[in-house]
Amino acid sequence: MIKKSIAVVDYGMGNVWSVISAFKYLGVDAQLISDPKDLHNYKHIILPGVGSFGRGMLALRNSGLGDAILNVVENKDTKLLGICLGMHLLGTHGTEGGDSQGLGLIDNKVEKFTTSELGKNKIPHVGFNSVGFNEPKGLFKNMGKVSDFYFTHSYRMLNTNVQERFGECYYGINFLAAFEQGNICGTQFHPEKSQTNGLILLKNFLDL
Amino acid sequence: MLKKRVIFTLLYADKEFMLSRNFRLQKVGNLKWLQKNYNFSQIAFSIDELIILDVSREKNNQDEFCEHVRSLTEMCFIPIGAGGGVRDVEYARKLLHAGADKIVINSLASTKPSSINDIASDFGQQSIVLSIDVKRSKNDYEVWTENGSKRHHYSLKKYLDVISDFHIGELYLNSIDNDGTGQGYDHQLLEHIPDGLTMPIILAGGAGKHEHLAEGLNNQKVDAVATAHLFNFVGDGLEKARHNLIQKGFNLATWDIKTAHLLHNTFTR
Repeated sequence: MIKKSIAVVDYGMGNVWSVISAFKYLGVDAQLISDPKDLHNYKHIILPGVGSFGRGMLALRNSGLGDAILNVVENKDTKLLGICLGMHLLGTHGTEGGDSQGLGLIDNKVEKFTTSELGKNKIPHVGFNSVGFNEPKGLFKNMGKVSDFYFTHSYRMLNTNVQERFGECYYGINFLAAFEQGNICGTQFHPEKSQTNGLILLKNFLDL
Repeated sequence: MLKKRVIFTLLYADKEFMLSRNFRLQKVGNLKWLQKNYNFSQIAFSIDELIILDVSREKNNQDEFCEHVRSLTEMCFIPIGAGGGVRDVEYARKLLHAGADKIVINSLASTKPSSINDIASDFGQQSIVLSIDVKRSKNDYEVWTENGSKRHHYSLKKYLDVISDFHIGELYLNSIDNDGTGQGYDHQLLEHIPDGLTMPIILAGGAGKHEHLAEGLNNQKVDAVATAHLFNFVGDGLEKARHNLIQKGFNLATWDIKTAHLLHNTFTR
C-alpha cells in the first residue's frame, strides 16, 4: 500500500468538504490545513476555493498560507492542484473583486468573460461541459481526447502561456479548463463534482 | 456546449426519506436504509445533480437536515442543491457549509424576496434555485407555496413575470397534479413561461419511466429533468435510463460508471 499525504488548504474560501469526500472515496485521508507551518509535511497540496479573486488573495496573504505554498512548491516533488478559484489564484493577476496580484505560479491573467466572447451564452457558466486535452498523460491520463466536467464560474483564464499539458473548454471562446505545468496543476472545473471523470483526475494527481 | 441534466430529488422529512404523490407524503426509510436497500451512492453515478428537499410539514430541524446533506455529499460527486424551509441567509450559509452547492428556495420568493438578494450577494446568483409548485385550474396554472398548502394570488404566468427580476440562477417547476403519479411531466405548464425569461428550467413532477425523461429533455425550454420517484428508478433503473438517453443522442454529460466503482478505495488496496 502506498501512503499518500494530501493537504487541502483551508483559507476560509468555500467547499473543502466535497474535495475531502472525493479523496475519501479513493481511499485516502486528506488533511485540512490552516497553519502554514504544517504545509511542508505534504507531497500533494490542494488549493480549493469558491469566491472572488480579491478576497481569496487577501485570505492567503493574511494567513501566511500564500507564502507557505510558494515556499513548498520550490521543491518540484511537491505537487500543487488549484481548483476553480484555487486555479485562478495561481495566475499572475485577477480582476474579480478589484485588481489583485496572484501567486504568479503560472504566467496567465484571470478576467471576466467579455460580452463579445459570450454572445448568447450566459454567465456564470454553470454545468457539465466538454474539455479537450492536448495530451492524455500525467494529470490527464485515461481522459481520452474529450471528457465532460462540471463548471461554475464567470471569470476565465485564457491559454496564453501554458506550453505543457492542458485542457480547453469552449464557451463562446476557448478558455483554459485545466493544466499541468511542472509540479503546478490547475482545473477551472470541479473534479470533486464531476463523477468518474473527476475521480480519475484526482487519482492521476496523486499518481504524479 | 453546456449539457442538459438528469436530476434526482430526495424528499426528506424528520430524518426519513419520502415518496410524494400529489404532495401527500409516504415514509420510505432513513439514510442507512437508502444506502443499504438502494445503494444510493451507486445510483448517484447515473445522475448529473442531486437535490435534497426538507419537506417536513411541522417545524424543520435545520441541524438534522444539514447532517443529512453532509452525509449525502460524502456519497455523491456531483453538484448538490439543498433547501426546504430556507427563510434567511444564515440557513443558506449553513447548508452551503454542509456541502450544498446550491440553495433551493420556494415560499421565500413570496414572503421575503429581499432575502433572495441577500443570499445572491453573499454566494452568487448561480447558487439559488427557485422552486415553484403549480396546480392546474380551469384554463390556467395556480402557484402554491408552503409545501403546496397555500395558494398564491398570482397565476403562474404573472408569478414568473414578477420573479424574472429576482437574483436567481434557475427555476424548478413542479406539477402538484402529476407529482408521484408516474404518468409523465406536465408539458403545458412550460407554455406559461414568458419569452424573455432566460433562466435554466428544471422540469419536475410525474416522471415514471425513461421515456418521460426523454420527452422532458426534448422540450427546447427544458434544461434539466428531475424525478423524485425512488421506486420507479429502482436498482439499475436510472443507469439504464441514462444509457438510453445518451444512445438516443441527448446532450448529456458522459462518464464511465464501472470505472467509478473500480476507483473506490483504489489507494487502500
